[in-house]
Amino acid sequence: MDNSSIAVSPKKTFGKALLYTLPMFLVTFMFITGGKPDFSDPARTVAILVTFFGMNLLYFLMHYSGKTDRYRAIIFVIFALTLSFTLIRNMILIRNSMSFSQADILECKIPFCHLVIPMMILPAALTKSIIFPGTILGGFADIASMVVLWLAATVVLGRGFCSWGCFYGGWDDGFSRLRKKPLVKKISDSWKWMPFAVLLLVALTAALTMIPTYCNWICPFKAVTEFEKVTNVESAVKAGVFISLFGGLVVALPVVTRKRTQCSFLCPMGAISTLSNRITPFTMKIDTNACTQCFKCVDSCPMFALTREGIKEGTVSMFCSKCGKCMDSCSRNAIHFGIRGVPAGTRKNFSRNLFLFVSFLFMAVFSSQPIVFTLNSLYNLIF
Amino acid sequence: MTDSFILGLSSGSACLVTCGMVMFPYIMAGRGGVMKIVLDLSVFLATRLVIYFVLATLAWYFGQAFLTSGIVRTFVTGSLYVMFAIILIWYSIGRKKNMKCPAAIVTKVEDKRLVPVLLGVVNSIGFCPALLLILTKGAAQGSLAQSWLAFLAFFTGSSLWFLPLPFAGKLKKKQVIETIGIFATGLAGAIFIIKGLILITGGILNG
Repeated sequence: MDNSSIAVSPKKTFGKALLYTLPMFLVTFMFITGGKPDFSDPARTVAILVTFFGMNLLYFLMHYSGKTDRYRAIIFVIFALTLSFTLIRNMILIRNSMSFSQADILECKIPFCHLVIPMMILPAALTKSIIFPGTILGGFADIASMVVLWLAATVVLGRGFCSWGCFYGGWDDGFSRLRKKPLVKKISDSWKWMPFAVLLLVALTAALTMIPTYCNWICPFKAVTEFEKVTNVESAVKAGVFISLFGGLVVALPVVTRKRTQCSFLCPMGAISTLSNRITPFTMKIDTNACTQCFKCVDSCPMFALTREGIKEGTVSMFCSKCGKCMDSCSRNAIHFGIRGVPAGTRKNFSRNLFLFVSFLFMAVFSSQPIVFTLNSLYNLIF
Repeated sequence: MTDSFILGLSSGSACLVTCGMVMFPYIMAGRGGVMKIVLDLSVFLATRLVIYFVLATLAWYFGQAFLTSGIVRTFVTGSLYVMFAIILIWYSIGRKKNMKCPAAIVTKVEDKRLVPVLLGVVNSIGFCPALLLILTKGAAQGSLAQSWLAFLAFFTGSSLWFLPLPFAGKLKKKQVIETIGIFATGLAGAIFIIKGLILITGGILNG
């Protein structure tokens, strides 16, 4: 039992890391192959094997090297890219275009994503109706399965969903890593309250208009998924808003600040996930006995969750997305994954192993299909 | 309707932050118990509603008088939306913390029974970019009833913030509510900029 408050390294020996990877090996094999391995199609077989071994290699490296965020980010970014590819390819296969028409809305053919959930709650409670034009059950990206997945992830991971499950987060996470040092360092951390204002506005406007206003007017990821066909001034302005927000909050600002600005300053789902951090069993803890107050963790945090005052007091704010970047920057292992109720500085490795298994499994299961699909498509394209 | 409600909601949050602590000690200090508090709050809200109906009527008549043709109506309304929305965003970002409440002067009136009424009047017509936006919207409406509806939505949105005010003094996270309120005001401004741009562009394209 590692209950010492002195730095405990999360690194493991080769054999021990392999042993920890074994359960993930088995579970991911089951999920990626669907329990019935079918290797008749060479393209799909290659895609499945690359995905399966790649994922497990990264999980192994997390245990072997003791670094969390370094390897998490690789899958997370690939997940975002491949999901966009999958969505766009599906759109083109079905409609020959990335845009959807009014007819598609009327026929409820729009793929659902978790960002709609904050806007669905009030109308569903008041009118017992779903305001999104998607399929409730069955078909591509249906509402029921997405809500269940999101609920499960949120209850277990809290805002960890934003770093381990959200298929958009990888975009600004990826762009935030392009520069080694930020060009803009001073950003008021009061901006992190902006998603709550966005949540307030979109939830109320959706309830009043019975239209998912965030998707309709704001969502920057429309630029890399599907969007309304430009047929008039209003739809042109909407497209302009989507592209500007994507360019500004997902590309430019993360590059110059090394922060996940879309997730921190806009996403209404992030606001809900932030609140859910208060009930989740996993938290980040600071071992004040091991901490030397170098504040490298504060500078590295992409979500404005850490402050110098908080580090001194040994507290991490509810904005933490449990990405593990702060842990990777801490040479003393003073900041670590923890379990609610367990004192900081104790059971560090146990908590990390448990959290990594749960969160990585969720990400692996969620991301494997788009990755397999993309690899499969690329294989077919090349050969 | 929705944008008027959102505008009211956002301006109400700013109002709560600036004036809540000035206005409500007077409304809440009545010695008549809960009934007196409810009565004063009702008088305050009713006064605001009446003032807004008057403003809606005036705005609509001005609109009828000056925004005579469709194209003028489109361009003037669109331009005013953009201009006032920029002022609203500037006002929300640039506002000084611990700003003085313009209604503070009313609380010095000797006859305390008049305080809720006067607070309602000052609160409704106190200069605020959000009021300018809703006046523009009221002026651009096709009928008087539509103008009233826009103001009613604005009133409803802004009044929501007053309902939990009896507990405002006990709020631990006042700073957080203030910050969220300010951002909401800025976002409401952004909505009206987009509305304005749509009106102007539509006007240009339609000649």
